[in-house]
Amino acid sequence: MTAAVLEEKSLPGTELVAVPRGIVHIQTQNLTLSRGGRILFQDMNLTVPRGKLVSVVGASGTGKTSLLLALAGLLQPDSGSVLYYGRDERTHLPHAFKHEIGFVFQELRLVPNTSLLTNVLCGQLGRQKWWKTLFGFSRTHQGAAYELLRQLGLADLIHRNAGETSGGQQQRAAIARALMQQPEVVLADEPVANLDADNAALVLKLFRRFAAEKGITLVCAMHDMALVDKYSDFVLELNERNPSAWSLAQVR
Amino acid sequence: MSDSKDTSSLPQIPPLPWHQRLNLMSISALLFLGAALASMSAMKGSGRELDYWQNLKRFVYRCLPPDFSVSADAFKALGETIQISVLATFFAILIAFPIAIAAASNLSPLWLRSIVRLFMNANRTVHVLLWALLAVVLVGPNPLAGVIALTFYSLGYLCKFYSDSLESLDMKTAEALRANGAGLIQVFQYALWPQAKPFIWSYAIWMLEYNIRSATVIGYVGAGGIGLLLHSFQEYGHWDKFAAVLLIILVPVTLLDFLGERIRNKITGVARLKQ
Repeated sequence: MTAAVLEEKSLPGTELVAVPRGIVHIQTQNLTLSRGGRILFQDMNLTVPRGKLVSVVGASGTGKTSLLLALAGLLQPDSGSVLYYGRDERTHLPHAFKHEIGFVFQELRLVPNTSLLTNVLCGQLGRQKWWKTLFGFSRTHQGAAYELLRQLGLADLIHRNAGETSGGQQQRAAIARALMQQPEVVLADEPVANLDADNAALVLKLFRRFAAEKGITLVCAMHDMALVDKYSDFVLELNERNPSAWSLAQVR
Repeated sequence: MSDSKDTSSLPQIPPLPWHQRLNLMSISALLFLGAALASMSAMKGSGRELDYWQNLKRFVYRCLPPDFSVSADAFKALGETIQISVLATFFAILIAFPIAIAAASNLSPLWLRSIVRLFMNANRTVHVLLWALLAVVLVGPNPLAGVIALTFYSLGYLCKFYSDSLESLDMKTAEALRANGAGLIQVFQYALWPQAKPFIWSYAIWMLEYNIRSATVIGYVGAGGIGLLLHSFQEYGHWDKFAAVLLIILVPVTLLDFLGERIRNKITGVARLKQ
């Protein structure tokens, strides 16, 4: 990303966190969203640098999931916009960037009677033409999917149907599917909610490695503050009572 | 009695007005009872003095002992019957699946599924014997007529079952893949088809069982198979041979029923478990 592009696009006076020029990845402008007649957050101006992990925290019902859905373009905000500064040095609206956004749903949404390996490979679908995936996936992609599952401790279960695995195993597979997409951005809704301490650490360390090595930016809804403090770069806190009182703070 | 004293002190329960007792269920049940009474005239038979018991006894004696000298012919005809039903089921699955997609409310636009459903409902109202008669008129009295008749007969059922199965699919996984940029065909292949597959196959097995039973009947109107044999023995009054053929049909059909049900339960049971 060149400084020239950024100067043109960035809005002065909206950044709460000092972000060095040229590395902005996600930017929201006056983002406002309400659900069921209640405003969840108002005039949210975020500037998220590339390759960082942002934890979204706040009591349940404050709009963590809705924010992630709005960032992904799956939920229409009341007003404001979300912009992505892609690797291709262009700005994108969410719906035009969906191939680059890996989303981990809270309810995981794996295909139950399909193997974990195939479920993970499904992350690749958006990058392939349909006739190329009609008879399965290439050896290279299968290898990559296996490697992801192995890193998440699921090597022994790759041929097990998703519906026959535990909640924690499914959660890790859903994360692997999002990473298999080779995304620029991962939006994860409670990615470690079903995991024990060891596996939560495993996932968050993997997230940090992907952020550092591949420049992936991650936005994760979280509730365990100890994990938030230990693994995130930024914390975005939503306020239950005052939708304007969201805050973004740098952890490290 | 001491009881009657007690009840007088109890509060009066407001009675349910008679018109509130009438709902769709009680009204239709009453109508049905009335229809049953009005239909009693059908019970009088031919009106002649017949000894029904004696008739039955005479019939059973003429069937016994079954004449198994016809076994070779019967097994050959049974083979043809099975061939007819297997092929008809096969063709019906192939044709029904795309039609079912067009009839499923979660996969098809309203205008398309309305048209498709209209035709499929009409299709189901035609009895298998009518299809058989039509097919015999078209291609003559041979097994091909049987295949055609049973294919069209099965279509209506399979389309209904298949579109119902497709409608019961969990669309959330499909939406998840859509959100990641997967195309419609990919979403169908990877998110919907794996869920639908066990039900598609289980209904196919059910249809095969059903078709083998139906295929014995359509021979009566000339559409090939073992029904043809039954029909000729009946015409000539060879009840002992008729009985032998019936027994030869009964054994594989019962076996298939038993086996098919177990296979189907296993397939869909596992599928349900996985969801």
